[in-house]
Amino acid sequence: MSLHVAPPRNWKALLLTAAILWAIPLAVRNDYFLLLFNVMALNALVVLGLNLLIASTGQVSLGHAAFYGLGAYLSAIASTTLQWPLPLAFLAALLCVALIAFLLAIPTLRLEGNYLVMATLGFNIIVTILFTQMEEFTGGPSGFPGIPRLSLGPLSISTDRHFYYFIWTLFLILFAFTLNLTDSRVGRALLAIHERDLTSETLGIPTYRYKVTTFVLSALYAALAGFCYAHYVTFISPKTFDILYSVQVLTMVVVGGMGSIWGGLAGTVVLTSLPELLHRFEDLHVLLYGLILMGVLIFSPQGLVPAVLSLLQRARPDSEAAGSGNEALLVERALESLRSGRTLNLRCAPAGTGTASSGPEGAGGLLDIRNVSLGFGGLQALNEVGFQVNSCQVVALIGPNGAGKTTLLNVISGLLKPDMGQVVLDGRDMVGMPPHRVAECGVGRTFQAVQIYQHFSVLENLLLGYHVEGGAGFLSAGLRTPSERREERRLRERAMDLLASFDLSDKASLPVMQLTLLEQKLLEMARSLAFSPRVLLLDEPVGGLNPKESEVLVGYITLLRRNGMGIILVEHDMNVVMRIADRIEVLQHGCLIASGTPREVQQNPKVITAYLGVRKS
Amino acid sequence: MMNWHLAPYFFVSGITNGSIYALIALGFCLIQNATGLVNFAQGEFVMLGAMMVFTFYHIIGLPMPVAFILAVAAVALIGVALERGPIRHSRNRDILTLVMITVGASISIRGASMMVWGKNAHIYPAFGGDSPVFILNAAVLPQSLWIMGLTLVVLVLLYLFFHRTLLGKAVRAVADNPHGAVLIGISVRRLVALAFGLSGAMGAMAGILITPITSMSYDAGLMLGLKGFAAGILGGSGSTLGAVVGGLLLGVLESFGAGLVSSAYKDAIAFLILLLILFVKPAGLFGSVRVRRL
Repeated sequence: MSLHVAPPRNWKALLLTAAILWAIPLAVRNDYFLLLFNVMALNALVVLGLNLLIASTGQVSLGHAAFYGLGAYLSAIASTTLQWPLPLAFLAALLCVALIAFLLAIPTLRLEGNYLVMATLGFNIIVTILFTQMEEFTGGPSGFPGIPRLSLGPLSISTDRHFYYFIWTLFLILFAFTLNLTDSRVGRALLAIHERDLTSETLGIPTYRYKVTTFVLSALYAALAGFCYAHYVTFISPKTFDILYSVQVLTMVVVGGMGSIWGGLAGTVVLTSLPELLHRFEDLHVLLYGLILMGVLIFSPQGLVPAVLSLLQRARPDSEAAGSGNEALLVERALESLRSGRTLNLRCAPAGTGTASSGPEGAGGLLDIRNVSLGFGGLQALNEVGFQVNSCQVVALIGPNGAGKTTLLNVISGLLKPDMGQVVLDGRDMVGMPPHRVAECGVGRTFQAVQIYQHFSVLENLLLGYHVEGGAGFLSAGLRTPSERREERRLRERAMDLLASFDLSDKASLPVMQLTLLEQKLLEMARSLAFSPRVLLLDEPVGGLNPKESEVLVGYITLLRRNGMGIILVEHDMNVVMRIADRIEVLQHGCLIASGTPREVQQNPKVITAYLGVRKS
Repeated sequence: MMNWHLAPYFFVSGITNGSIYALIALGFCLIQNATGLVNFAQGEFVMLGAMMVFTFYHIIGLPMPVAFILAVAAVALIGVALERGPIRHSRNRDILTLVMITVGASISIRGASMMVWGKNAHIYPAFGGDSPVFILNAAVLPQSLWIMGLTLVVLVLLYLFFHRTLLGKAVRAVADNPHGAVLIGISVRRLVALAFGLSGAMGAMAGILITPITSMSYDAGLMLGLKGFAAGILGGSGSTLGAVVGGLLLGVLESFGAGLVSSAYKDAIAFLILLLILFVKPAGLFGSVRVRRL
């Protein structure tokens, strides 16, 4: 394990920022202005954390003032009242905040919607009340004086100028850390969670754990800023940490563009200087912040900084004249190569014990669905459904609309929990596992409506599928350790190989929205193959494709089967089903009404009346 | 230090505050059902209602009933304006953006109110005088009776509106399935505006009614709004019945908590309950968890 760490990829911009920051105190003679810059750095630190949270969870916290305050007060109490040495006070404060943030995140981040905003807002109010009321510890409304200045051994930070260098260095380090983090496997996953959290979950990304971790990390940034603040001004009072500060930092985030790390810095610089310019109209501040927040959100919701950047980019000539060649020709070519016996460059499903499914003891197949039942209120969506899938086998699941086909796929991939029954893969019951664990067990899937990430390139979309194959966590991603970079390179190589198998190599860097529907579907299939699943769930893979295109897709499905994949195929196109299915299971009103080979099912009278239609004679 | 002999008093004051929370929670509920948004400016409606009555009654000198009606109507209009203006014109329809626009609106209204009405708290006389009535050993202020009575009237009217009028049924239809409602010819936009207007009116009423007891200042809206929200979560997000029960329950819990533990932490109790509910039963007492689809 090497201790080498690396700067972010766009280190030039970072270096430039550092140079400017280094030059400012040389130009500024008046220490009052340095005070302004110091406050700016503290705000920027809180904003950085908040941005990370928004970028990854898509949720907003209105309680960061509380974490900022807790960092300040806890450290003040530990170092002043309890007389602990500063490093110990620092550790205690941050640990406490991490714990509190963790406890707050656990219930709220599990919920969909705006609960986090409300919970953090409520939390902020409670904390402000505690700061004001617990006078014996906090000094109450009149504040907490006499906090020691920052020092380590003989080094002491006693002037505005010293603190300037200290705080901005600290900020730049964390800024680089955050940039690294967002530009990594973990960062990709975080952005993916923001865009589509359920889909990300089925790709094996532990969304809930990542959200909680990000929240705690984000709170720690604020607490760190609070710690620095307390030991810089040496006096703190509850007013600094009330809800208005939370709104202020949120406004900085919004102005800079929610989730944009660089934008956040710009937003902080603008909005921290603004009140200074409007020094005389102090009563206007609240109204002004409100109007700015509202105005930016209404007219430029991506934030002012990204808006300016995109204006600049539009001024430049558009170099990407999307190579929209002849799609029909490309389809022809793909078909030809499929017919001429190409093979898929896949890591075959590891020959585990369960793959010996054709063996004599074959009580269970590779995937064994046993008596699965699920009701939504009065509706019995699935009623004791059970069948098996072996490797090298395509089991088609057909039935009229509303029969419960997609519901069953959702049960298998862990998005829904059945009331009864088991879903056994390789002898292991997966019921009750969260979707990302199911994916890790070896279940890949595609969706009825293609679920690709619009804000990502083709390659990045595919890389999300490789998430479970990597192991680098938040820390090594942020530090950009050599092992993390090696892993990233390896994943990229493998992703490019897989793209080549699907004839998508030359589109790797395109935004996914420029792909045709067929290419999007192929990409989605490739992504579900990335983590080498044993079983693939395909939900209407050829829906919306023309016959030629659907033939390409069928070609790939056949190839996958040959490679040992067990496949459940939900499909309405009977031509496709009859051609490639080894077995067919027919669902109606949540019950299996028939199963067998395509020929058997075709002749089953129940199926004919329920689904294929009664022939008038 | 158990003041159990004061229990009837705590109960009455709990129900009084609870009625107010219920009104505010209903406002949240209306907008949430019509749009899926949590309207952060709800608390500002409460504050605005009271401040306007103060202006109409004290400054202009209108009689109280007129001031009351004018203030409710004015805040209802502000509610509609919030929807017609910022929310409708937002370029990004993302829920999070819209919710944050209401945060911005809330802060703006708060800032503007500070400039109009100043930083001091304002108060005006109670509706039925200040001499308490004795009911079951408890001294009850006439204002409490007014609050409970008017809240009850609002509830009955709302019930009739939702269940007996076509317009009310249309609002319920929109809450149930907005796309379906559009398809059968309901103008969702107008109903959304109506929801904002109604919730503005209810917020204003809550503020007007509570002010003779607690007084009102420009920054009190946030806290009242949040307590209404906590009440709504307690009862069950989006449930009308839940809003009422949650409001009353929260009022009583808060009153007993403050009386038996410490009044310094009175405001913290509501949020502890909020966090607790989110932890234990996020759907609330009367809510149901929605199934998400991809």
